[in-house]
This record gives sequence, C-alpha cells and structure tokens, in this order.
Amino acid sequence: MTTAAVRTKSPRKSRRPAWDEEPSVFGKLVKAAFLVCYAAAIVLPIWAVVATSFASEEALQKAGGNLLLLPTELSAQAYREILGGGALTNSLLVTVLLTAGGTAISMVLTIGAAYGLSRPGSLMHRPLLMLVLFTFLFGPGMYPSYLVVQQLGLLDTYWSLILPSALNAFNLIVLRAFFMNSVPAELIDAAKMDGAGEFRILFKVVLPMSKAILAVIALFYAVGYWNIYFQAVLYTPGLETQPIQVVLQRMLMSTQGMPGADIGQYQAAEAAPTAALKMAVVVCTIVPIVIMYPFIQKHFTKAIITGAIKG
Amino acid sequence: MTALQTSAPPASGRAGGRSDLRRKRTLGQRLRHDWPLLLMTLPALVQLAVFFYWPSSWNIIAFMDYSPYRSFWENPFVGFAWFGRLFSDPYFLPALLNTLKFSALNLLFLFPLSIALALIMHSVVSTKVRSVFQSIVYLPYFFSWVLVVTIFVQVLGADGLVSNWLLGAGGERLDIMSDPDTFTFLAWMQWAWKDAGWGMIIFLAALASINPSLYEAAAVDGAGRWKRMWHITIPGIRPVIVLLLILHIGNILTVGFEQYQLQRQAVGYQTTEVLDTFVYYRAILTSQYSFGTAAGLFKGVIGLILILVANNVAHRLGEQGIYQKS
Repeated sequence: MTTAAVRTKSPRKSRRPAWDEEPSVFGKLVKAAFLVCYAAAIVLPIWAVVATSFASEEALQKAGGNLLLLPTELSAQAYREILGGGALTNSLLVTVLLTAGGTAISMVLTIGAAYGLSRPGSLMHRPLLMLVLFTFLFGPGMYPSYLVVQQLGLLDTYWSLILPSALNAFNLIVLRAFFMNSVPAELIDAAKMDGAGEFRILFKVVLPMSKAILAVIALFYAVGYWNIYFQAVLYTPGLETQPIQVVLQRMLMSTQGMPGADIGQYQAAEAAPTAALKMAVVVCTIVPIVIMYPFIQKHFTKAIITGAIKG
Repeated sequence: MTALQTSAPPASGRAGGRSDLRRKRTLGQRLRHDWPLLLMTLPALVQLAVFFYWPSSWNIIAFMDYSPYRSFWENPFVGFAWFGRLFSDPYFLPALLNTLKFSALNLLFLFPLSIALALIMHSVVSTKVRSVFQSIVYLPYFFSWVLVVTIFVQVLGADGLVSNWLLGAGGERLDIMSDPDTFTFLAWMQWAWKDAGWGMIIFLAALASINPSLYEAAAVDGAGRWKRMWHITIPGIRPVIVLLLILHIGNILTVGFEQYQLQRQAVGYQTTEVLDTFVYYRAILTSQYSFGTAAGLFKGVIGLILILVANNVAHRLGEQGIYQKS
C-alpha cells in the first residue's frame, strides 16, 4: 500500500527526463504490483519468524501452527532460554568467537597478500599472482581437503573451521585492484622518498585510505564465518559445542516433515524445541547479519563491480 | 633475522625514484629491496600451499587404490579404473544429471530473473522505492542455507504457515517440502529467494554505468522504450552478463552442498543427490576414498575445462572475459 502511494507520487517530483515518455497506467500498476509481491515474499516470512519467536506458548497453540503473523500474547521466554546459559548460549558464544577470530586471520592474510602483490615490478609478483588466480579455476576436491585437515590433526578442532577457507582469492583480487587503482601512487612514492619502509607505507598511507573497502571485505568474511555449516559437518562432527547453524539444523531436523522425523539428531537443548524457541534461534542468526547489512549496502557494490571487471 | 635487519635500511633508503632501474638489478638486490612485500604475501602463500596446492596434489589417490592404513607408497596404482567405475556406478550418473538439472535451472531461470529484476528496478524513477526495494531483496543473500531452508519449512512445510491457512480454509495440508516431485521447483524457488536480489544488484551497478546521454540521443531520434532497451541497455550490460555466464558455466557442476544435504532427509536422496553430496557420502561417510576422490577430481577437471573454453569463446566473440590474453 505505502509503496503504491509512493509510486503514484513519484512522477511529480520525479527526475524522469523530459525525453522519456510516461509509461501507461496499466504498465505502472503491473510493475508496482510485481514489486510489492516480490518484496512481500521476502519480508513476510522474516516477519513471521520474528513474530513467532516472541509469541507465548498459548498464543502459538491458539494459532495452531508453528508460525504466526501477529502474536496475540508476547513472551520473551524463548530468548531467556537461549541466552540464559546452556548449550544454545555456548553455541552462540563459540560462533561469535569463531567469527571474530576467523575474520581477523582472514584480514591479515588478505591485506598482506593484496598489498604485497600490488607494487608494480616487485620481485616474483607475477608468478605469485598466478598461484592465487589459479584457485579460481580449480577446486582440490572435498576428500583431498579433508585428508590434509586430518593429517594436520585439525579434525574436530575449531581451527578446521577457520584455516582451510581463511583466504578468499576473490577478496584478495578486489583489494589488490583497489590498492593499485584507488590509492594514488604519488602518495606511496612520496612516503618512500621520506624513507618509509613498505610496512610503514601500508599502515600509515594505504590502509587509512582504504577503510571502507576493508570494512566491506571484513564483513563478507564475517558473514561467511557466521554462516559456517558445511565445514562443521565435514570437519568437526565430534565437537560438543557446534556453530549455531549446525544447532539450528539439528533443531530443524527434529521436527521437519513431521511424522517419522529423526529426533535423535537433536542434542542442543534438553527437550524438543518449541516453535518459539526455534524461531528465536533463527532470529539470533539473522540479527548480526541485519546489523551488518546497512554498512555492506553502503559500500560494497562498487567494490564488487571494480573487482569483477578489473580482476 | 639479522640479515634482514642489516639489509633493510639501505634498501628502503635507496628505493625512491629509482624504479626505472629496477629491471636491471640483480636478484640479490631485488630481494633486498622487495623482502617486506614478500614477507607480507607469505602468510597467504602458506595458506594456499597448505590448503589448496597440497590437497590438490592429493588428488593422485584417484589413480590409486588408496587406504589411509597403508603407507603411501604401498598403495597400488590403478590408472583410470575409478573413473571407469564412476560411470558404471548406479548412483553417480543420477547425481551428475541432478547437478546438471539444477545448474540448468539456475542458468535458464535464475539468471534472467536477476536481469529482469534489474531492468524493472532501473525503470523505476523514484529513488525512494528503489532504495527500499533493493535493501529488501538482497538481504537473503547473506542468510545461510540452514536459515533459508528453515524459513521455507516454516512457511511451506507440512506444518507451516501456508499449510495452516489451507487447513483453516477447509483445504488440504500442503506437503511440497517433502515431495520429491516438486523438489526441483522448490529448490529453484529457494535459490531465487536467496540469490536473485544479489544478481539484481550486480546488474543494476552495471546499468548505472551506462551513459544517460545515449538514451536521450536515442529518444530524440525516435527510439521507443523497448528499442532503447534492446539497443542501449542490453549492449551496455553485456560484458557483465558474459562475465557472469562464464563463471556460471565454469561452476556448472557446483550447485552447492548445503541446500541438498539439508533436505536429503525430508525429500530422499534420489532427488537431492548432487555431485558434492555424492562425494561426501561416498568418500567421507562410507570411506570409499579413492572412488570419492575420483568423483571430486572429475568435477574439478570438467570445471577447469569448461571455464577455459567459455572464456576462450568469449574472447572470440570480442568480449573481455574473466582474464586477458597476455
């Protein structure tokens, strides 16, 4: 409704150029309806999840399902259960630490290599860059990767969730392109004239000029670590405290497809989870992403496009 | 360490303004000059060596009858036997076909959906509507597959929101989340829900780089809305379309693992088995190491060939592609 209102208002204060013919009313209506439906298909489920997570048990039973759009009675019981200590709290904490530590390690690797390979004419930079670029073309395969993690003794350790995927070649190339194209070479040369070494140039000249793109890349890494699921299934099935996505999956499995669902897989909480509890876990996994989102939005498309085209 | 410390100050002191002479320096001089750069690159190179190149070389066990309980050299070489076995395996071909099916759906229906969304968005004049819609539609791109599947189960599952509405209205329970016949469509829907908005953003960024005066000139010359789209908009975003097409084609055997593994229990393995899940269940869960590795290597090599061929074709068609010919 509101979107439609905005649509009809927009032509008046519009920046529609004079040469552009006004579309037909019918065409506009179809377009508005399509956009509203598409947006609703994304917003409504998320809204229902949030609403359900705050619903009391009675309100849920009255609604008769595991999801409702308007809770008649609010309750924060589910969140008390998640954050009040116990398996779910531990899992959230572990995932937060994993995200923070993993992102830090990834950033050190990415920044170092992006700058190290960005100086024109430096020793070996071309073959080393080729080594990085080749990772775009080929994947070593699941079992060989597993074998190496096993040989290093990293199975069932949190390191196996960080180290094997710590470097994203795409991020490296995007950042390198930024260092080469958007940090003025004169500034670097001037710093060199003043006798600054490469480390000093990196920290005092290059990084301060790249804050926005560094933040975006860090956020992309962070989202990746936060969403870790496959690596946990593959490398750390024996860990007692699993990343939050694995816990969520176990909760989901415990009720999915109702009759004959495998409840044995569910280990994270004491009893079978209520719908509100499940949805509260979902909300907990969404919240950090929604917090990061506006920032990603502000800066990242430019970074992606420059990287995609220049990389 | 001492060598590095003693050599560093003179090297960096001499650095400025001499870059034209760099090529004539000896290896030792260049090393003295560039060691900080190499040192910065080292952690990433170690990561690549340990977690990319070392596992890549382990693919050799696809040509052996490998067992982790023997020393490496005791494993007999069997040549291409496992690759032959792949095609007589009753589960490999269905997994390969499923993978190709999901890939094709992605290519034929998701890719154009992103372009269509971008074109529609591009035609919306109001910046307010644009920014609101944009922020909504690509939020799910950052959701994990666990989250996406959970939300789908909650909304479309047997006990979900829609099912309850239908029951309340006297209809039947909706059961598409565990129905193998509808899974293909469902998988596409999940994919579209998660990723179409992201694709739209990429194309929108490409659309924004088209010079608006081109549109004006065309309009003045009497080109209508559709003509302008065909002759200006589409050529304007063609490099990005080609780039993404190449990447898609190179990844044609990679449809992801999580979406299918997550729904395997509910839908059954016949419909959800793709190459990645095949490798996982064979090599890791049932310990057919060499066989699983062969399946993975098959996927890796085909991907490599496809991306090189696609890029080559793009070059021949006069497009930039993903890398330049040197």
